[in-house]
Amino acid sequence: MYTGTNASSRWFSYIGLGIGVLLLLCSVQMFINIQQLLKEGSIRKDGFDFVSITKNITNETMGQPEKNLFHADEIEAVKKQPFIAGVSPLLANDFRVQLSAGNVLPFSTDMFLEALDNDFIDTLPPNFTWKEGDQHIPIILSSDFFEIYNIFAPGQGLPQLSKETAMGIPVQVACYGRDNSITFSGRIVAFSDRVNSVLVPKNFLQWANKTFSQKDRQDASRLFLKLKDVNDPQLIRYLDAQHYVINRDKTLLGRNKIVLQGIFSGLGIFGLLVVILALMLFSFYLQLVVARSRQNLELLLTLGYSPAWLGKNVSNQFVPVYIFIVLTALICTQLMQWAFHRFIMFNRPELSSLINWIVLLLAAVLVLLAIVTNARLVKKLLYRLS
Amino acid sequence: MKLEIKNLLPVYFEEERKSTSEIWGKERSFSNGDLVNIVAPSGTGKTSLIHFLYKMRESYSGSILYDGQPLSQFSKEAIASLRKDHVSIILQDMRLFEEQTILENLEIKRQLHPYHPQERIIEMAKRLGVDHRLNALAKNCSYGEQQRAVIIRALLQPFGVLLMDEPFSHLDHANAQKAIDLILEETAGRKALVLFAELEKATGFPATHLYHL
Repeated sequence: MYTGTNASSRWFSYIGLGIGVLLLLCSVQMFINIQQLLKEGSIRKDGFDFVSITKNITNETMGQPEKNLFHADEIEAVKKQPFIAGVSPLLANDFRVQLSAGNVLPFSTDMFLEALDNDFIDTLPPNFTWKEGDQHIPIILSSDFFEIYNIFAPGQGLPQLSKETAMGIPVQVACYGRDNSITFSGRIVAFSDRVNSVLVPKNFLQWANKTFSQKDRQDASRLFLKLKDVNDPQLIRYLDAQHYVINRDKTLLGRNKIVLQGIFSGLGIFGLLVVILALMLFSFYLQLVVARSRQNLELLLTLGYSPAWLGKNVSNQFVPVYIFIVLTALICTQLMQWAFHRFIMFNRPELSSLINWIVLLLAAVLVLLAIVTNARLVKKLLYRLS
Repeated sequence: MKLEIKNLLPVYFEEERKSTSEIWGKERSFSNGDLVNIVAPSGTGKTSLIHFLYKMRESYSGSILYDGQPLSQFSKEAIASLRKDHVSIILQDMRLFEEQTILENLEIKRQLHPYHPQERIIEMAKRLGVDHRLNALAKNCSYGEQQRAVIIRALLQPFGVLLMDEPFSHLDHANAQKAIDLILEETAGRKALVLFAELEKATGFPATHLYHL
């Protein structure tokens, strides 16, 4: 079957196939590396990320609070996005609130209150409820805010507090309307790592807004999002398009991810093209081989050799070659991954020095693809001869 | 094995041929043990007939049936199986692998269906006087030697039908007779039908049927 004059085209197609497969495997591996690296770096609870978004306040919208609020239809639109697992509007107080520690601590400050759907709160004690007529308001305070208090407390002559003590101190929550005011007794019932706010039961805030502000404000100033992945490029594109603002730090990785994924997708597509080109070159080479051996093949068919059997025999000769090419590319990819992990990523624990199983699977698929296309072509050529 | 031809005519022949021929345009049926001699002067379509019967060409009208099955409906794989186990052929233009030795050529056929052991090749080669050329490349052998190799090759497989197209054209009378004897011996063992196309009536071939093409 083989004649020396075909050697160069054979080697060209082998090398082309090798380079294409290597490019493809490396791109897929790097793609997976990026996914693994960028999955980390955000607070994840129960496999979800929680972030709050606001509208971008510009010079044009500055004096018009209604333009900076999320209306019901906008909230519905956000809910419909496939990459958003859940949305809860953060309802803010529409009246003046003052917080003081009463006689226990000489501390008093203007404050804000917010309310959120209960299922979005990470630390929800059973006593976080309120009903009309209650004088007591349970409060969930952001751990970050509590930390800030402990930082500035010594400078103000206030005592630093432990979380347990803080939960024991009754606070007075004074709510001021235009012509009425009520002072409630509040108590911190939990601290939240997730929500940067001072949370009160939602029904309390709805009642208080109605009582103290007269305006029946339904719209939310912030939306609290439950996300599968805060670094999802789709999410970032969506938020940018809607001019919604999210904490930049939390999406910075996601923005890099978009660029890197783009580069490696491009490289992967290029690798795939090279693989296809190499397979085409290989099919031309095979046609040449069959054409040059035409007489011999015809005689074998005349003698009674089955075209399917002959085809299998001819194609099987290339199977070890394909396996060798893909295996070599796989070893090179493994070396690349090891060097990348060791020398560029300094053995970061999110990554592995070994190639991902998807890359192995892809390599197997490529071998199978090459064998099947080859076998089909040879069979077709032989059937034409017989 | 039963071989039938019905109203057969090459597409490149005029219809008038049917009236002068005993094969073209006629209905003929042959079965096991028949020794058919077809006498065909040059240009009467002798090689065409053999090629049609072996499905090497299909440029004909009418039909050919093996055991009642139309040959035109045989798939490529079925044809391969027919040639391997049921129908053998001695072609006029011989067709050997020129770069292989005579023995290798015979082995290529024998391995397809080892009906005979390898020793039988040597016995048959001795009978036909080509045993000393078994290790020679086919291209270096004379036509007479090549023709005897082709005869042996046809006898290495099982068959119910043996097609022969001027099988002794390069052999002298004595060698042709040796070949006829060997062929008759082998076909008798298989109870096969022999279809022997020759320019003139073959001497030394005990034909049971004689047709003029």
